[in-house]
This record gives sequence, structure tokens and C-alpha cells, in this order.
Amino acid sequence: MADTAGLRERAEETALLWVLVAIVAILSLVPLARLLFEGVAPGGRFSTAALSNVLSSATTWTAAQHSLVTACGGTALAVLIGATVAVLVALTDIRGRNAFVFCFVLPLMIAPQVVALAWLQLFGPSSTLLKMIGLAPAMGSRNPLYSAHGIILLLGVQYAPLVFLTLRAGLRTLPQELLEAGLAAGAKPPTILRTIVLPLMTPPLVAGIALCFVSCLGNFGIPAFLGIPGNYLVLPTLIYQRLAGLGPSVLSEVAVLSCLIGFIAVLGIFLQDLMLRRRDFRITTTSNAMRPFELARWRPAVEIALWILTIVVLVLPLVALLLSSLVPAAGVPLTAKSATWSNYDYVLFDHAAAKRALVNSFSLSATAAIVIVLVAVPLAYFLVWRRSRLLRVLNLAAEMPYALPGVVLAIAAILVFLKPLPVLGLTLYNTVWIILFGYLARFLVLGLRPVIGGYYQLDRTLEEAAQIAGARLLRRLATIILPLVAPMATAGALLVFLTAFNELTVSALLWSSGAETLGVVVFSFQQGGDSTYAAALAMLTVAVTIALMLSTLLTGKPARGVLPWRD
Amino acid sequence: MARLIVDCVTKTFGALHALDQVSLDVGDGEFMAILGPSGCGKTTLLRQIAGFDKLDGGRIVIGETVVSTVTQHVPPERRRIGIVFQSYALWPHMTVAENVAYGLTVAGVRDPERTRRVDAALTLVELEGYAERRPSMLSGGQRQRVALARCLVTEPSLVLLDEPLANLDVHLRASMEEEFARFHARTGTTMVYITHDQAEAMALADRIAVMDRGRLLQVATPSQLYREPADASVAAFIGEGIVVPAEVIDVDSRGRCRVDLFGLSVSMRCPLAQTPTRAARVCLRAANLAIVGAGVPGIGARVVRSVYQGGHFRVEAQLDHADGVLVHLAAAEPCRLAPGDAIRIGIDDGWVLPETGEIVDSTAPESADSRRFDGGTVATGADG
Amino acid sequence: MNYLLRGAWLAAALISMLAPLPAQAQAPKGKLVLYTSQPERDATQTTAAFKQAYPGVEVEVFRSGTTEVMGKLAAEFAAGAPKADVLLIADAASMEALKKDGRLLPYPEARVAGLAAGTYDADRTYFGSKLITTGIAVNTAAKSRPASWADLAKPENKGQIAMPSPLYSGAAAIMLGTMTARPDLGWAFFEKLKADEAVAVRGNGAVLTAVASGEKPYGVLVDFMAFNAKAKGSPIEFIFPAEGVPAVTEPVAMLKTAQNPAAGRAFIDFILSDEGQKLALSMGYIPAKASVGMPSWLPPGTVIKLMPTDIGNVVQNNSANLKRFSELFGN
Repeated sequence: MADTAGLRERAEETALLWVLVAIVAILSLVPLARLLFEGVAPGGRFSTAALSNVLSSATTWTAAQHSLVTACGGTALAVLIGATVAVLVALTDIRGRNAFVFCFVLPLMIAPQVVALAWLQLFGPSSTLLKMIGLAPAMGSRNPLYSAHGIILLLGVQYAPLVFLTLRAGLRTLPQELLEAGLAAGAKPPTILRTIVLPLMTPPLVAGIALCFVSCLGNFGIPAFLGIPGNYLVLPTLIYQRLAGLGPSVLSEVAVLSCLIGFIAVLGIFLQDLMLRRRDFRITTTSNAMRPFELARWRPAVEIALWILTIVVLVLPLVALLLSSLVPAAGVPLTAKSATWSNYDYVLFDHAAAKRALVNSFSLSATAAIVIVLVAVPLAYFLVWRRSRLLRVLNLAAEMPYALPGVVLAIAAILVFLKPLPVLGLTLYNTVWIILFGYLARFLVLGLRPVIGGYYQLDRTLEEAAQIAGARLLRRLATIILPLVAPMATAGALLVFLTAFNELTVSALLWSSGAETLGVVVFSFQQGGDSTYAAALAMLTVAVTIALMLSTLLTGKPARGVLPWRD
Repeated sequence: MARLIVDCVTKTFGALHALDQVSLDVGDGEFMAILGPSGCGKTTLLRQIAGFDKLDGGRIVIGETVVSTVTQHVPPERRRIGIVFQSYALWPHMTVAENVAYGLTVAGVRDPERTRRVDAALTLVELEGYAERRPSMLSGGQRQRVALARCLVTEPSLVLLDEPLANLDVHLRASMEEEFARFHARTGTTMVYITHDQAEAMALADRIAVMDRGRLLQVATPSQLYREPADASVAAFIGEGIVVPAEVIDVDSRGRCRVDLFGLSVSMRCPLAQTPTRAARVCLRAANLAIVGAGVPGIGARVVRSVYQGGHFRVEAQLDHADGVLVHLAAAEPCRLAPGDAIRIGIDDGWVLPETGEIVDSTAPESADSRRFDGGTVATGADG
Repeated sequence: MNYLLRGAWLAAALISMLAPLPAQAQAPKGKLVLYTSQPERDATQTTAAFKQAYPGVEVEVFRSGTTEVMGKLAAEFAAGAPKADVLLIADAASMEALKKDGRLLPYPEARVAGLAAGTYDADRTYFGSKLITTGIAVNTAAKSRPASWADLAKPENKGQIAMPSPLYSGAAAIMLGTMTARPDLGWAFFEKLKADEAVAVRGNGAVLTAVASGEKPYGVLVDFMAFNAKAKGSPIEFIFPAEGVPAVTEPVAMLKTAQNPAAGRAFIDFILSDEGQKLALSMGYIPAKASVGMPSWLPPGTVIKLMPTDIGNVVQNNSANLKRFSELFGN
């Protein structure tokens, strides 16, 4: 007998699957394919010249090696810092937890290039701070940050909150019985960490590591500031250098270099999948969240260490930024007389683009975050629980727009959207919409990975119980699954918002008057030598974001674990 | 209410036969327990019935509808059954009331009808007043009852219970057993109850299906299972049966025979088609064994251990001349036996195991299966 | 009475509608798309002034670094639908490259009277808008004041020099091409800079920040940036070296695919006009038209010794020069 209701339901599910496939394909495959096409067939004519030029050049391989070195080093450092902080915050009884998390996550919101600049000034001979304590290095001495070590240090510091966010959301779901069983068996906390917590936390940890690796690989701002002066090139800065060169073959060489970055990123993703496949520990989530380990006499020392970390990572660069925003021009020493608000005046009142940029960046980032999470939850469902093979392949593709430097994605977007869309006749080019497209394409993976980690931790019987109760897929996704992955989904949304808010490299090529973003305006100031205006705008950005984060503390009562700094 | 038919169902995972040609017929309103050790396939069978996995062979029918075949599969959300999961699977982000009301909300039932039914369900499981609590605030037993209430509120025609009492303590288990029994009596829902605990199965079920390693060994009422196990594994599994080799001397036509057991002649029950044979195996129960004095027919044995069990002793002894066959029996208090003592054991009854070793469903209504052991039913009421 | 008033109203309305028509038939209107690598503030001021002069034109600006502008253009060319009408970018080398690709639209009727020779293309495809020289910038706390390029490259200044990297800056690429062609400087000069551990940073903005903050007391920097910063109080001095200064002209040009060539021509006219040149002067640049005057920061009577630049030569040797520079300053 015909089972029409069943058929309709199956059709619904298949339709959802194909909608997701289409979304991922449009966001990832289409721009990349267009770029690849440009690489092997510039101007429509097939040619391997670009391919051979790039692959035979020693510079390419040196840059690739540097990329690997800095990406691995940066990831290792970020994991070290981020995981330690996550364990301390989630599993021990330190005080002032929320305030600390707030401060720790804040650096994610400062654009990488601003961070690099702030640290450079901190360590340089003109550093106001160092001058005040008499430790300023002699004028002209080589800044230690201009090196691979400097790049690794800043990458690690920049992305430690990434690892922290994903790991902490995972730690929240660890039931206390598991740890108490270990304690009862006589194991000391370090042993418990190693033998119980770490294996169970493998999914979120691996998700954080993969995200971190790909972020470091595609980061442009930090190696641009710290690597270029010493000619320590990584692949993104090499691409930028090629773009600055002249000649018609520029784009195709850029396309080939992009493929190289993509290839390395794919290797990293394969490794992640491999690691996750072996570890499939499910945790039922009905138990209470963890009661902390007690630190006893170690507590004050640990708290002090954490706050020192915060000061070094957050406060010092922010202070350096603040100080340089208060002087009328670069290099003028800050005294009571020289301090001025003129930079803020200019940025807020005289410069129309800055205000527009604030609004644009906020709306674009918020929209991108929400859309991405709404796509990520059903996408992860099909990836993890339905094991759709088609989607797994696409999943790899989704990594690419994030791994590739933003400038490459921007070029791909231009190539695709320059002409009006075929059926609709709309032109996205030179509007905010192409920037939104760029953000959606680039940050999808930032929202997706934490959600995937969340699914790995869910007990599937919770969905099965809903199935038995008669709920169809969409209803299950909305009423059962979404609330349960909410902590990880929000971590993802937060990551997307924070990264998009300050991003520069994608919007640098895609913006147009009226569609400026914050990163672009700050960058313009810096390039034009107006470092004081850049500092003022960057400070304003940080202030606005802090205000936003604080406002979340005032609103009602979200579910537990949704916001990392609200417990 | 619905009848459940499981027909030659097979499920393989790689080389492993999780379910091997399992056939089962649960009558309308029946309480069927599926009993077996860990890994026997009972949970796999439950998942097939529920629709979480697809079949590799056979078919499943619920009520009038064919829900699973190799080519056809009705998804779980449309099978209109209820499940109580072993882990209860209560949604942590909802209150008790919301958990219970979920099925109704999905079906489009609105307040005040919905609240009324939720309250009625909670009252049924004696959890009135708990509506606004969260699952994390409840004890194991309370969660169990919420899971049951959630299952019942949609009035399903078939309820599957996956080892629901496994995580509870002994006292709670007893009261929950009563709960299930009362519920079944009151509503007449068809219930399929998965468990590894035979006491539970015996107490609750109308019939029990015994499984091991993916195969169905026997389906019978608890009494039949106890008194007439189909093969050695069922015999050993149920009631700690003692399986020993023996020789069948002669058989009468009313299900009794004379058996030679290590030199002792005993009158035992046997399958109607039993013939005299030298290589039979019999199932003895501790209740049929007693320590006898000289002059009474019995087998010599040596005491291995004697354990006090409150009011009586459990004596384990090794039979003489019997290649180390171990038996156990009860001895009334006081019993001053010590390891190594010689005793004599008398046997007053037993059951000769049918040696075909096939699946026996001695009470299946109309089974076309020609591999049933006997052509008719063993007298159900007779005690013998 | 009412009818009369109403009639007068109507007449006035009609006349006011008709009156601008003849003017509008000549004045350019519509949208003008400008891609520029000028600093933000200058771009804003230029477009505002242009809009005042030509109120019928709506200007859309894309402003970024030269690299980004060229990248965006390249992508648009590859996709077959360039959007820009006019370009105003930092250096002539990029313009030459575009000219070679046949992307520029010549404007033979441009009024080049008063412009120094060599600041505009012989084929009238691009026109220099100002004169931006590159000299030596010094932090006021630095130990010495180098008076010439040779002084700058002295071993005493080891580790204290910043320069814009030609790999990322078209203006610096022209500087490289110009100076290496001279016998008194040549590649030996850059080798000495390398021996002095000079850092090649990404763009003049970074050099300014480095020198003004004291991180590198000596820098190779464009004139207007140094002087604007000094005017705001930065501790920085600018020196015109004895051998002379290389210059870039920040040329303006029109694309062949321009969708509004009339407005494009108007824009070029504006840039080259006295009004446009005075605007450049007010922004702190040396104008291309000497008759307009000199910026205030230039001590009166200073003679700027321009290094001659054979732009064709520079472009031809560019990739070889960049390669050599890249190898010299190490990977």
C-alpha cells in the first residue's frame, strides 16, 4: 500500500539534505572552482605556465615550509594555553571565573594586525610602558618579534581563545560521576586529567586543534607585520607579494598558490577525521555539570598566574593601543600636556566612513553568525549521524574558504559575482551582499566544527526517544537537538561574530563606498601613516564589543553554558 | 492494541550475525519478555522493532501494518509505539511535564487536553507535583517513572521496554515490577520487555522468549520454561538448571519415562516423542534433589561447599563416579555438613531435554513453522 | 489674482526646469567610479572638491593599497566586466603595465600646459597629479643627520634603517628602478643597506610609524607623510639627500572600458586644473603644476633635485629588479 505520509516525510528529509548540499556547494565549491579555472586557464585558454612557474620556484617551497612551521608552532602554543586555561576554568575552584573568561576571550575581538602592531610597540624602543619602567631597548635595536618565533608567539596568543571556547563547551558536559569514580579509585587529579578527561574530551579538543591549525595557516595580518620586514614569507604573504607584482599572469599564479594552501589544509582535516573516528565516547547529558577539583593551597598561585597571563595577553597590548590613540601624532611622547581626544573626535565625528563601518561590520557579523549556526546544526546532523557521504566530501570543501587567505577568497568572489546573477539579474558586486557572501563562505567552518564536536558528545537515544514520540526531522532538530548542541553552537556563533567583526582581508577587496567595514577603515589609517586614528578606531571597536558582551550579562537567563562568561 | 509479528528476521554486522532468523509472535495485549545474556541480540531486536535499524532479512509487522522488510521501512516516528530506554533518555533541557507532553505536542494536542493527559500520566506513575522539576533533579527511580509516563501518555498500541529496571536498586525494582504488572493489567497494552534478569521475566511475563547469540532458543510461558526447557543452554540459564547425561530406559505415552542416572533409577518427565536412548541429557532442579539417608535410593556424592542462605543451606556436591558433575541443592537448617563429607542425594523428578536442539515455540497460536518440536502442546495445566 | 500667481508659479517652475538643460547638455553627469590608492583623507577631499566642481556627477570610490587596487582590477578584467572609470594610483609603473595591456583610454585633449615634462605619458594615457619625492626621514632623537644617500648607508647606522619594500609598494619599486640605474648609487647602495640590516617594511605608512616611534631612527620615506606628521607634532625630520630624490607622480588615467568617459575626462581635467592642483597643495603635496605654488613645509628657495626616471626602463627591468631585491634581502 502506498505510504504517502512516509513518502512525503522522506521527501522532506531528502530536500533538506539537498538544500544543505547546495548551500555548501555555492559557498565553497563555486568560488574555488572559478579560481582553479583561472589557474589553469587564464583568460579562457588552457595553460600550465602558471603551475610550472609557481611549483618550480624555490620561494614557493620555502614559504610553504614556513607556513607549516608557523602553523604547527602556533597551534601547539594555542592548545597549550587554551587547554590549560579551559581545564582550570571548568574543573577547578578558582574565583572570579566569569571575569577571567571575559578577559581571556576579548583578544579574539581585536584584529590580528592591531594585535601585531600593539605588541611591536610594546617591545620597541618607543614603548611608553617600557620607557616608564626604564626597560626600553636602545633605539634602533632589532625587535625580537620580527622572526618566526614572534609569529608563532602571536599566533598562539591570538588563537588560544579559539581552543579555549571549544574545549570549555565540551568540558561542561562531563558528568561528575566519571571524575569521582577516578578519584575514588585513588587517582590524583593530574592522572584523572590524563586518563579520563583527555580521552573523553578528544572530540572538542581535536575540533579546536583543527580549527586552530587552519586559522594559523590562513592568517595574513600577523606574518604581514612580523614576517615581511625580515622577509620571512609564508604562503599568504607570498600571495600578497605576487599580487603586488605586475603582469597578466598574476591571478593564475595566485590561484596555484591558493591550491597549495588548500592542499595543506586538507591534510590537516584528514588527520582530524582520523583522530575522531577512533574515539567515539558518548556521554549522556542528564547528570549535573562538574563540581570542580579543589586546588587548596595552589589556588592563589594559580589565580595569580592566570591574571598575569591576562595582563600580558590582553591588558598590555590594549594599554599600548590606548596610549598611542591619545597622542596627536606618532612618536610624540605622552604627557599630560600632549594627551588629546582629537583622534577620537576625528574618527567619530569627522570621518563618515568610520561610523558606517561600525554599523556595517556589526550587522554583517551578526547576520553571518546567525545564518551560519542555522545551517551548521542540520548540516552537522547529516554529517555525523547520517554519515552522508556526499556531505562528507563537501565538508572538506567547506574548509577551503577559511584556509585560504582572505584576499584569495575575495578574488574568487569577484570572479564569480562581477556579472549579474544569471536568472535573477541582481548584481551583488560592490554591495554589502558580496561581503556577506564572503563572510558566510569563509566562516562556515568556524561555526560548523564546534557543532560537529557537540554532536559527537550527544547521546543519540535522546533523538530516538523523540522519533518514537512521533517527531519528524525538522521538529527534532528544532526542539531536541538544537537546545542540546546550543552550548557548542553558541561557541561557534560567537567565534564567527568575533572573527568577522574585525576581519580585513576579505572586505579589503570587496568593500565599496557605503559598504566599508571596520577592518578596512583601520587598515586604511595604518597604511596612510595615521596610526593614531587607527589606534583610536581600534579602541572604539574594543569598547563597543566589551559593551555588547557586558550587555549579555544583563539580559534574562539563557540556558546554561550558552555564553562562556556566564555561568 | 496491536499484535507484533517478527518473521525470520536477520541482521548482520559484517561477519557477525546479530540476529539469525528470529521469529516471534506476540499476541494482542500480551506481555512478552525477551530474556538472554549480554550480547545475545535482544537490544538489536528491539531496535529493529522500533525502526532504528534496517533489516537484512525477514519482516516485522505491527498490528496490521508491515513496518519493516528488506525493501520497505517505516520510520520510527510513524510506528506509534512507545519505548522506555535503559538510560531513560529524558531531555535535560525540558521539565518533567514538557518531557511527558512532547508526544502530545507533536501530535497536535493542545491545552487544556494536553495538560490533563500529562497530569493523568504523572498521577499514574505517582509523580504528581513533579511536573516542573528537571530530570537532573530526580532520582533514578523517579526518572524511570517519568520515562514510563512519557511513553504512556500517547497511548501507544505497543510498548517496548529496554532493561528498564537495570539501573535501580533491589527495593525499587520490586515496586517498579509491581508498577508494570499493574499497568499491564489495567490497560492491556501489548508489552515487549527486554531483560537479562530471569526473576523479572518470570514475574512479569505472559511468555518469555529466550535468546542467545542472535538465535531464539525457546518461547514459552515462565512455567513451561522452568519445567520443560528446550535445550541445555535454556535449562542452565533458567533457574540454574543442572544438566547431566543419563540413559532413558523406557517411555510411557503420557510424558513420563524411566531414566538411569549414574545407577539411580528415576521417574522423570519427558517430551511426548521421546524414545529410549543411551545418550540423553536431563535437567535437574535443586528443588527435586534432597539429601537422603541410607536405605533410600540415591546417588553418592561428596560435599564441596555449604553456604548459609538464611533459613537453609545451599550445598554443592560432586557426584561419585560421574566425572565431576556438580549439583547443588537446599538443605534445611541446621545442617552440619562440611566440605569432603559423603552424602547421598535422592532425585524425585527431572526433565529429559529434547535432543533436536531446534527452536521451540510451544504455544505459538498458528505457526506454519514445520520445525516445531512436537505436534501439540504439552499439557499446560498438568503438573507432573 | 490667484490665477495670475499660479500662472507665474508655473512659468517660474517651467523656466527653472528648462534653464539648466543647456548647461546640463554640456556638463558631465551620472556615476563616476574611481579606484584610488591615495590615503583615505586625501581621497575624500579630492572627491568632495570634484563633486563641488561638477555637481551632476555621483562619485563612487574604492580606496585601498595599490596591491589591493591592482588585485581587484585584475579580477575584474579576468571576469570580463571592469567597473572602474578612472584610476588614481601611486606610481607610473603600474600604469605602464596597464597601458601595455591596452587597458587605458588616451585623452589627447588633456590640458597639460604647465606640467613638468615627464610627469605625463607621451601617448596621453596617464597624467601625473602631483610630485611625491622619497627622501630620508630621521627621528629627532637620532644620533646623526645623514645629508646624502651615501651617508644613510654608512656602517654606523647598522640596524637602524627602515625602508618601504618594493615587493609591496609600486612607488618603492620605482625608487628601486631609478636608483639602481644610477652609477653613483646602483645596486651597491642597496647592498650596503642590506649590510646595515635595513628592514624592508610593507609600505610608507609602516616606515613612518617606525621612524616616528623611534623603532628605527632612520627611514626612507615619502615627503608629504613626513611633513604632515611633523606638523602634528611627531618627532620627525625630512632631509632631501644631496644626490637627489626619486619621485612618483600619482598618475590619473581613464580605462578603455570606462562606462562614463565624459565624467572621466572631467575628472582628469579637474585633477590637472589649477583648482585641483591647489587642492593637492593644500593637502601637503608638491603639485605637478609648479605655477600653483609650493607647500608650506618646503623652505622657500629649496631646489628639489629630481632623479630622472626612465619609466619604460624601470618597467622593463622590474621583475628582474624585484627578484634581485628579494634575493638580496634574504628569504
